Amino acid sequence: MGKFLLLAFRNVFRNRRRTVMTLMMVGGGVAGLLLVGGFFAFMFRGLRESTIRNGLGHIQIFTAEHFQRDEVHVLDTGISDWRHVAASVRSGDHVRGVAPRIDFYGMLSNGVKSSVFMGSAVEPDSERAMGFSPRIASGRDLGSNSNGEVEALIGTGVAKSMSVKVGDGLTILAVTADGALNGIDVQIVGIVNTGFKDLDDRYLRITLPSAQRLLQTDRVTNLVVGLDDTENTDSVAAILIPELRGQSQPMVIRKWIDLAAYYQQVRTLFSGIFLFLGIIVFFMVLMASVNTLLMAMFERTREIGTMLAMGTPRMWIVALFMVEATLTGLFGAAVGVLGGNLLGVALNISGLHLPPPPGSDVPMAFKVLHVPGLMIGASLLVVISLALASILPAIRASRLQIAEALAHV
Amino acid sequence: MHPSDDLVHVDAVTRKFPLDHSAVTALDHTSLRVAAGEFLAIAGPSGSGKSTLLNLIGCIDKPTSGRIFIDGVDTSQLSPARTTALRRERIGFVFQTFNLIPVFTAAENVEFPLLIQGVNASDRRTRVTEALESVGLAGRAHHRPDLLSGGERQRVAVARAIVGRPALVLADEPTANLDTRNATQLIELMRDLNCRLGLTFIFSTHDQRLLEHTPRIVRLTDGQVESDSHSQGESHGQVLAACVS
Ligand SMILES: Nc1ncnc2c1ncn2[C@@H]1O[C@H](COP(=O)(O)OP(=O)(O)OP(=O)(O)O)[C@@H](O)[C@H]1O
Ligand SMILES: [Mg+2]
Repeated sequence: MGKFLLLAFRNVFRNRRRTVMTLMMVGGGVAGLLLVGGFFAFMFRGLRESTIRNGLGHIQIFTAEHFQRDEVHVLDTGISDWRHVAASVRSGDHVRGVAPRIDFYGMLSNGVKSSVFMGSAVEPDSERAMGFSPRIASGRDLGSNSNGEVEALIGTGVAKSMSVKVGDGLTILAVTADGALNGIDVQIVGIVNTGFKDLDDRYLRITLPSAQRLLQTDRVTNLVVGLDDTENTDSVAAILIPELRGQSQPMVIRKWIDLAAYYQQVRTLFSGIFLFLGIIVFFMVLMASVNTLLMAMFERTREIGTMLAMGTPRMWIVALFMVEATLTGLFGAAVGVLGGNLLGVALNISGLHLPPPPGSDVPMAFKVLHVPGLMIGASLLVVISLALASILPAIRASRLQIAEALAHV
Repeated sequence: MHPSDDLVHVDAVTRKFPLDHSAVTALDHTSLRVAAGEFLAIAGPSGSGKSTLLNLIGCIDKPTSGRIFIDGVDTSQLSPARTTALRRERIGFVFQTFNLIPVFTAAENVEFPLLIQGVNASDRRTRVTEALESVGLAGRAHHRPDLLSGGERQRVAVARAIVGRPALVLADEPTANLDTRNATQLIELMRDLNCRLGLTFIFSTHDQRLLEHTPRIVRLTDGQVESDSHSQGESHGQVLAACVS
């Protein structure tokens, strides 16, 4: 067995030039997959973190009713005892902060023009404590205590359609929790660019107390939980679920991934692209290797004939060729993992940037993550590809007519 | 029909090779008996059927008609697996082109037949050493074939052929790629092993000079035995006696 592996091992390095070519091809495939996959992983992580920091948070808490029925009046299904719930969640491990929010909608007017809005009300301090801050295009974020003027942030699209700017006043009209129409005057303190046009055309943000006054309620829509690290989402969620059972209203939680539809779409799309690349690499390696292995087999015809003449079982010949190819795959994978990671490190150090992605004006950093799962996956891919590629040459070798093989020049 | 002391019995064997519309008859109703312990040369001009006959005796080719017995066993009746086992256990091969495994050292090449016979590691070591010593190459054990001369390579091949303790060693033109001195030495080596170990050797050559000390010479022409001469009219017993002296 040992000698047999030794024979296979030495045969792999028998034709140096060809082995180097094969290792470069296999290693190149693996390194390419690692670089592309590592960049995608970096992109996913960036999108994930920006999605979370743009206000999604890691976990959101709702009443169970919120998903069970449509509201007749605003905040019908809101959380009433939210201060208590927030306090108990805030005391948990890994929790950086808990922020109450209200989602509401209505009309904006400045006496000349009006526009519909999708509003959100927040506690600016709680948001900032978790590192969530809106992307302000001009002006400033909401202040902490809103005595005097009611402050508001509006989207760039809203500002444009209503021809207003920072410092101007607006009237917000909305239906209260009792079904009556109510209005408050607000002052624009900042204009927000979310990066999504549809959002910017409807964006309005005011403080939670202002919204509760407008809507005549003390409820909130949900609580947004921010954690120290996205990796802890599942473990914290697992603790929260039983903890929330004791509350007066039945509660449910949603993790960021459940709410991040855009992130999921992007991920699905790029995973598809990556899968396609993987398939291409697989077949490239397969086809190139079948050819190389057939050549190697042809060159060794007389040697195989000799082994068969001496009484070597034909299965040994099959095994020998397959083991050789598998070893080649393993070496190629090692070369690829090494090369891919070195290239990745070099790229990360170089500080390369890509042009801004659509909907953004910041150039995107080109970095690759070193993902162990990817290294294992890409290595397996080429090893399997080579093992499969060797089947045909191996079987051909084992079926050689001994006398003819021995006469082969 | 076939006495048990015949190691090899070729019984009216014909081997035809199909060629387009006709066929080449490489062997034509050839018969031959070889007893255990014989040292036999097959001579004849190119194309006379020497290789074909050796391939058939070595069970790496099948006759078109006729039968071949090894140790009284009709080889045409054996399954492929049994045929492989027969070659592995009973027959050693020496080839014109040496055919050593280039990535193996001399010792590893000699070890290979023991590996496929399933001999354990410590027995393999002693037997490899013995075999290399018997061909005078103990000092070259760890050289790869490309570092050995042609004569040395062929002696490694002889060591490989005998290490598995076969009943029969077949050598098709083992000297064709050697110079005269090495060729003579190789035949002497095989003759010596034949005498000392009682191994049966059948080799082919078309070099007359190598046949001087060969006790039995079978001459083929056009696939038929032209003559089968025991030198100086020696009988098989006398041949063995000649070894001892
Ligand atoms: N595989 C084959 N296909 C067709 N014809 C063959 C084949 N093998 C041998 N022959 C023919 O059979 C005849 C005998 O060939 P063989 O190789 O046995 O001769 P030989 O005595 O070994 O010759 P040499 O001294 O050249 O090696 C020749 O005419 C040869 O052309
Ligand atoms: Mg020949």
